[in-house]
Amino acid sequence: MSSKINGHVSPQPCPHLLVFRSRNGPKPFRALQDCIRVKPPGGRAAIRREPTEVPRCGTCEESSRSRLYACVACAAVFCHAPLLHSHASDHSLSIPGHEIAVDVDRAELFCCACGDQVYDRDFDAAVVLAQTVNATATTSTSGSTAMQCSVAGSQPENLRKRRRVDYRPWEPDSGEHISRGNQSIPLLDAANASLVSSTQQPWGLRGLNNLGNTCFMNSILQALLHTPPLRNYFLGDRHNRYYCQQKNGAINGTKNSRLCLACDMDALFSAVFSGDRTPYSPAKFLYSWWQHAANLASYEQQDAHEFFISMLEGIHEKVEKDKRKFQSPAGSGDCCIAHRVFSGILRSDVMCMVCGFTSTTYDPCVDISLDLEPNQGGSGKSSSAKSLNSFNVEADCMRPNQNCGISTLKGCLERFTRAEKLGSDQKLFCQKCQVRQESLKQMSIRKLPLVSCFHVKRFEHSSIRKMSRKVDRYLQFPFSLDMAPYLSSSILRSRFGNRIFPFDGDEQDASNDLSTEFELFAVVTHSGRLDAGHYVTYLRLSNQWYKCDDAWITQVNESIVRAAQGYMMFYVQKVLYYKESENQGTS
Amino acid sequence: MSRPPPPPPPPPPTTNKDQQRQNPSLQEINIKLIQSGEKERLKELLRERLLECGWIDEMKALCRAFTRKKGRNNVTVDDLVHVISPKGRASIPDSVKAKLLQRIRAFLASTAD
Repeated sequence: MSSKINGHVSPQPCPHLLVFRSRNGPKPFRALQDCIRVKPPGGRAAIRREPTEVPRCGTCEESSRSRLYACVACAAVFCHAPLLHSHASDHSLSIPGHEIAVDVDRAELFCCACGDQVYDRDFDAAVVLAQTVNATATTSTSGSTAMQCSVAGSQPENLRKRRRVDYRPWEPDSGEHISRGNQSIPLLDAANASLVSSTQQPWGLRGLNNLGNTCFMNSILQALLHTPPLRNYFLGDRHNRYYCQQKNGAINGTKNSRLCLACDMDALFSAVFSGDRTPYSPAKFLYSWWQHAANLASYEQQDAHEFFISMLEGIHEKVEKDKRKFQSPAGSGDCCIAHRVFSGILRSDVMCMVCGFTSTTYDPCVDISLDLEPNQGGSGKSSSAKSLNSFNVEADCMRPNQNCGISTLKGCLERFTRAEKLGSDQKLFCQKCQVRQESLKQMSIRKLPLVSCFHVKRFEHSSIRKMSRKVDRYLQFPFSLDMAPYLSSSILRSRFGNRIFPFDGDEQDASNDLSTEFELFAVVTHSGRLDAGHYVTYLRLSNQWYKCDDAWITQVNESIVRAAQGYMMFYVQKVLYYKESENQGTS
Repeated sequence: MSRPPPPPPPPPPTTNKDQQRQNPSLQEINIKLIQSGEKERLKELLRERLLECGWIDEMKALCRAFTRKKGRNNVTVDDLVHVISPKGRASIPDSVKAKLLQRIRAFLASTAD
């Protein structure tokens, strides 16, 4: 009788729960809520009649059984081990109306007749309330106001509901009818097919000439050129550079077209996907970008990640200026294609270690920067870094994590979403205590973007020591990645257990609309030193890997990619990653 | 010949304060652990270890596989507990068991009076 908690659908109550609710007034679990005990602040919730109660089965006196349930109707505690004996079931069968019980150690409702967990919105809200606000000294009323502000009540504007549009199959309009009739050429007729099939390389693979330490730009451009939603947007003529510049010219009245990085992207896409395989010089693009990021305009080496961010900003800025109408809130992705593709929402929970009060904030992000943990003592485990294809794992270390000596992307993400005690020098202001207190901070992902970009912080700049260094440590990254464990819903579940959350329901994560599975499609690698290094991008097309080293594009084996030093990894939602047919280009 | 009388029921642990120093029963140990808060700490330690070694993921995978086979609406918590308990108990790493035993022994030694 259970359905997914993670989805919009609230779990359906079983018949016994329905009967119980109808018989026990509007707040059937009110008395139970007073028995919720949480220790220490922010810890797990348990059900105890007195704080020091040791729960014991009323029938067999056992207190060491793993599942003890308290009947919600009469508060009697019973053990439940269906294979041996279930005194809880016996009790529920003996007295009608006593089927609903609560797990005393997990504070989760259970129907002894159905043998399954059941959910009540009010009760679950009360448990979450108790876990986030320490209710020992204060009364629950003052606690609940504080709670509602942070969790239940105000939703940030950037989480407004998306309006769904009914699907209709495409029909050409009159203009499209005409152009179809007159001038459309089949993509793969005899003349064109030879162009593509001659090299048997997929569409859109074209080297980019290095214009003077511009590998930082080339590497990112190669990744963007093959970012599926971005590629589709530009190849689908969604930003037509001729139309855009014509419009600008009309507004400005000048012949010099205004800076528009999106137009330059459009030109780049046209050039790279034209079928011409000779290396292309993105000089116009570089010039435009210099104008946008004046502080970075030089022939010195730049950071690819910085370039990536400034490029997205550039596309956004131009589009924003165009839109005079309603300004969409940050993070919704409705502002420009750059944010539509890359923007996700991060959730940050800061909990006061003294009183348990938690404040939650949401921030949009276009990528996630991850720390490479410092090298944990080798102790002979460094040998496992040599054999990259078969990991020698210890018996009690089934997943390669930092204890085994290999850094992994998953390990970094786990660390990113781990609850972290902020040091005593980083005390944050607690609204409830009204002073700065030591805090516990935890990040999680509220909404996944279409494309997740992970940036590995390999370049450390210490302003204190006035020096910078590069971290060469190898990072293992998967080709397929499931982001589910890093979502806010998963993180919250591990904190609070299985229950409905107060802010659940219709405004559940937008991430539920799409799956959490991602596929790797581009890796930007860096080799060399901080001041003298080289960027290379590996692209995955039709499940083949291609190395894009400025003007040279070569097919490589996947083991080369796995062994490379990843600096930025680009993952796209699996549903958007289609493997092109092997037969394209040949008749 | 009459049969020997049945043994007396075990005394309730909490009331008998000057019980002889014999091997404490499971009940007594359990109550000491709970009252001192050590049980909660042990549970946290266990959770951490089982997460690290992938045991929890394994159990989740078993549950998922079972649920897929039976159909989402035909599975109860009791079913899942029944299915994964044998495999679960058997696959706890020895190092985890050893660590917990060590902690419990240390606790009992420190609280012996």
